[in-house]
Amino acid sequence: MATEAVLQAHATHDVHGDHHHEHHHHETFITKYVFSQDHKMIAKQFLITGMVWAVLGGLMSVLFRFQLGYPDATYPWLEDLLGKWAEGGRITPAAYYALVTTHGTVLVFFVLTAGLSGTFANFLIPLQIGARDMASPFMNMLSYWFFLAASIVMLSSLFVETGPFSGGWTAYPPLSALGDASPGSKTGMDLWLISMALFVVSSLLGGLNYIATVLNMRTKGMSMTRMPLTIWALFFTAILGVLSFPVLFSGFILLIFDRNFGTSFYLSDIYLAGVEKALPNEGGSAILYQHLFWFLGHPEVYIILLPAMGMVSEILSVNSRKPIFGYMAMIGSLFAIAILAFLVWAHHMFVTGLNPFLGSIFVLLTLLIAVPSAIKVFNWLTTLWRGNIRFTPAMLFAIGFVSLFISGGLTGIWLGNSALDIHLHDTYFVIAHFHIVMGVASMFGMFAGIYHWYPKMYGRYLNNTMGYIHFWATLAGAYLIFWPMHYEGLAGMPRRYYDYSIWESFKQFAELNRFISTVAMIVFAVQLLFLFNFFYSIWKGRKVREQNPYNATTLEWTTPINPGHGNWVGEIPEVHRWAYDYGKDGKEFISQTTPIGADESSHH
Amino acid sequence: MEPVNIHAQHAENHGGGTKEIWRITWILTVLTIVELAIGFWMIKIPLDQEGLRLGLKGVIVILMMAKAFYIVAYFMHLKHEIRNMIMTIVVPLALFIWFIIAFLYDGNSYKNLRNTYDPHHKEASTVKGEKKEHGAADHKEGEHKAEEKH
Amino acid sequence: MASTTTATTKWWSGGKSPFNVEYGKLMMWYFLMSDAFTFGAFLIAYGTTRFSTNGWPDPNEVFKSFPFAPEGVHAPLVFVSIMTFILIISSVTMVLAVHAGHNMDRKGVVRNLILTIIGGAAFLGCQAWEWTHLYHEGAWWGSNPFLNHDGSVAISTNFTNFFFTITGFHGFHVLSGVVINIIMLIMTLNGVFDRRGHYLMIEKAGLYWHFVDLVWVFVFTCFYLI
Repeated sequence: MATEAVLQAHATHDVHGDHHHEHHHHETFITKYVFSQDHKMIAKQFLITGMVWAVLGGLMSVLFRFQLGYPDATYPWLEDLLGKWAEGGRITPAAYYALVTTHGTVLVFFVLTAGLSGTFANFLIPLQIGARDMASPFMNMLSYWFFLAASIVMLSSLFVETGPFSGGWTAYPPLSALGDASPGSKTGMDLWLISMALFVVSSLLGGLNYIATVLNMRTKGMSMTRMPLTIWALFFTAILGVLSFPVLFSGFILLIFDRNFGTSFYLSDIYLAGVEKALPNEGGSAILYQHLFWFLGHPEVYIILLPAMGMVSEILSVNSRKPIFGYMAMIGSLFAIAILAFLVWAHHMFVTGLNPFLGSIFVLLTLLIAVPSAIKVFNWLTTLWRGNIRFTPAMLFAIGFVSLFISGGLTGIWLGNSALDIHLHDTYFVIAHFHIVMGVASMFGMFAGIYHWYPKMYGRYLNNTMGYIHFWATLAGAYLIFWPMHYEGLAGMPRRYYDYSIWESFKQFAELNRFISTVAMIVFAVQLLFLFNFFYSIWKGRKVREQNPYNATTLEWTTPINPGHGNWVGEIPEVHRWAYDYGKDGKEFISQTTPIGADESSHH
Repeated sequence: MEPVNIHAQHAENHGGGTKEIWRITWILTVLTIVELAIGFWMIKIPLDQEGLRLGLKGVIVILMMAKAFYIVAYFMHLKHEIRNMIMTIVVPLALFIWFIIAFLYDGNSYKNLRNTYDPHHKEASTVKGEKKEHGAADHKEGEHKAEEKH
Repeated sequence: MASTTTATTKWWSGGKSPFNVEYGKLMMWYFLMSDAFTFGAFLIAYGTTRFSTNGWPDPNEVFKSFPFAPEGVHAPLVFVSIMTFILIISSVTMVLAVHAGHNMDRKGVVRNLILTIIGGAAFLGCQAWEWTHLYHEGAWWGSNPFLNHDGSVAISTNFTNFFFTITGFHGFHVLSGVVINIIMLIMTLNGVFDRRGHYLMIEKAGLYWHFVDLVWVFVFTCFYLI
């Protein structure tokens, strides 16, 4: 059968692509920087778009923190900035809810999903497994452009007459299903749905590519258990995305029908006070939407967290000059987390009318996540133990990640219990929990990744002094912002309220809220320092002079300092060992490309 | 690389050729006919024999799974792929088990809760209707009915 | 690395695909996995709603008509079984096309692709007729004229809502499958695959087409039989 020979030839071409020429065609500005199919450039596009969103999303949080910290004050400049959304210098309730909603959506999906796994999956997968590029560079490019389209649609929703969607980032019906429910539920919600649909397409295109690349394109000798943990984490992230985003997509399609075509999938027994109208819709259930949403929503948490975990594992090992502790246990726990991610979604819904018996099973499954999480934490700590630690900014952020993951993860055990959740649900305790464990921790993972691989991305170093200031201010700030929220939540202070000063029970927190708001503004300002460092260093940073500045073992440091499209000049190196041979047999480190010596002790 | 070598092993990868295709076609046809036969049988069974109806529905679901198996395994050729690849496809499908159980269980619970705590809802859903003449229904039907409720 | 064709082949050691397939086919498989979760979510949402509703229409009373038959004919399951067989047969012709592709038999590919396209179009035609018929009976999104099986009035429109949404989404997949097959046919006629030396594209289009058939197996069972 002739086809097989061809298939094989075909595969050979794809896997090795040795005749993949370096500078095979003249690159114009457009093909190099705009419609690029080079995974490294696409990664930078994801990163910079994500950074733009991080600034916008962060700015939104600063604006609503003004309202929360200083509910009675008026700021004329706010009216200059936001117009009718801050009439008289105070943010209106509608604007406040729109800001909260957009902050959540943007940070979760655009910054910590696209900006994090989009950037580092694109950048690191081909470089660390030894491939010229992704399996399908064209689909990879499309993935970015769908993301950009989603971004533009979301951005445009900020400027429509009735404002962006304002019903919370989870978009629960009926608020999201009925245009008459609130101003933000009109055009803003339509745009939100379009944007999210485009985003799902982008994530699918990217995810399929990452999976196919990791499976098919590893260089000779790079077996799955020789891969750096970054790749394992990004691999599981892609699987999570491919299997869970479609469920969200289905949920959104049903929501679109409810909005526009008179169906009642999520609607039942509704009387709209605003327009004094009883709706004919009958028989639907808002809980169904919540199930569908959280079937994505919970894996989404790990889509955000796993890439950070992977990069932190790698950075901790490189900068402790020690092999990662428990490599197989790390893979196993990633796998366990990936599976459990799909089984625990209803712990977000304990008090929404979920069957209590079903809830108790979800409690059990949820608490199981503590096991692989603890394995990971102990392995990180034991990797650090007696290491020869280099406190680079990347290393500091990686250690900060571990700290935040512990503090935020422990409160997850509280929230995972349905009985405790009756008291804690929808309070600031939840805000504190998920911001620390998912938001800030993943941001720390992302910063660690940027500081660590910046030299590979741009051929220059970031400024270390600014890096240290950035780290310490952000770490202290993160704890100062979110730690006090635990107390507010335990005292019953609900989230998503516009003004707490009118509640007798929460007046006592006025000072605390002001304090949190002040710290939030300072931390935001410090991020601007990082931005300056980032863009300044692209052009003016200290140049990288050595091929392998960190003495790391992985393959990306065997490429030229400024790798072209195709990554390696000449043949792709062959891999002979795992990625963590640090301090072995008296050698400081042994690159993955070094063949196993005759008298070497046991190896992977 | 060894363009020709994998070949030998790959040769049987196409299974039994057209013979197999026709065999599977027959199996699928027979399964569908059995499904339909059960379907026709069920029309005759009165509603109150819930156990029997449920059992037959279970049989239909099993037949459905069998059809799905034959389509995926032979038409989509999965059976002739490498074992590990089969696993990457089949194992994630296990997620559907809990997906289905949890959703349906909660759906059922929602019905019971409503019937228990919303007597009006329960009453409204037992109103007997006249069997309509063919094509006589108008499009606003559903809306009127629900509006009366409020 | 010469004689590594036996079971001892180190599939995972890198430098080759561990599944001995090219990346496109792998991506198609995982895309279909993903799409299975889309349809799965739809059907599970349908099941959940059905479980949470008192009373549900009897499919045998709803889907009982046949084209050109006199009004009031009671022929449940007949029309939909024809639709099912059309789809199964088109799946068979697709498999034959893929098979012909493996043997580099261009004529066979063309013949079977044409048959598959005809089958897909016939299915879409049947669906169009059924939708039109139901529409004239007063069924549509947000409108459910059918009584429940136990004779009570359906207070919810979700029976028709789900029916039109899910069969519509499936029909959309059939439509895109037909379009893909037409593109494949044109490419085959132009000799693109002969020049390329392999018919792997047909195989990937085939996977998609079988998936559409597979989904129908589930939709057919969930809406018409149980």
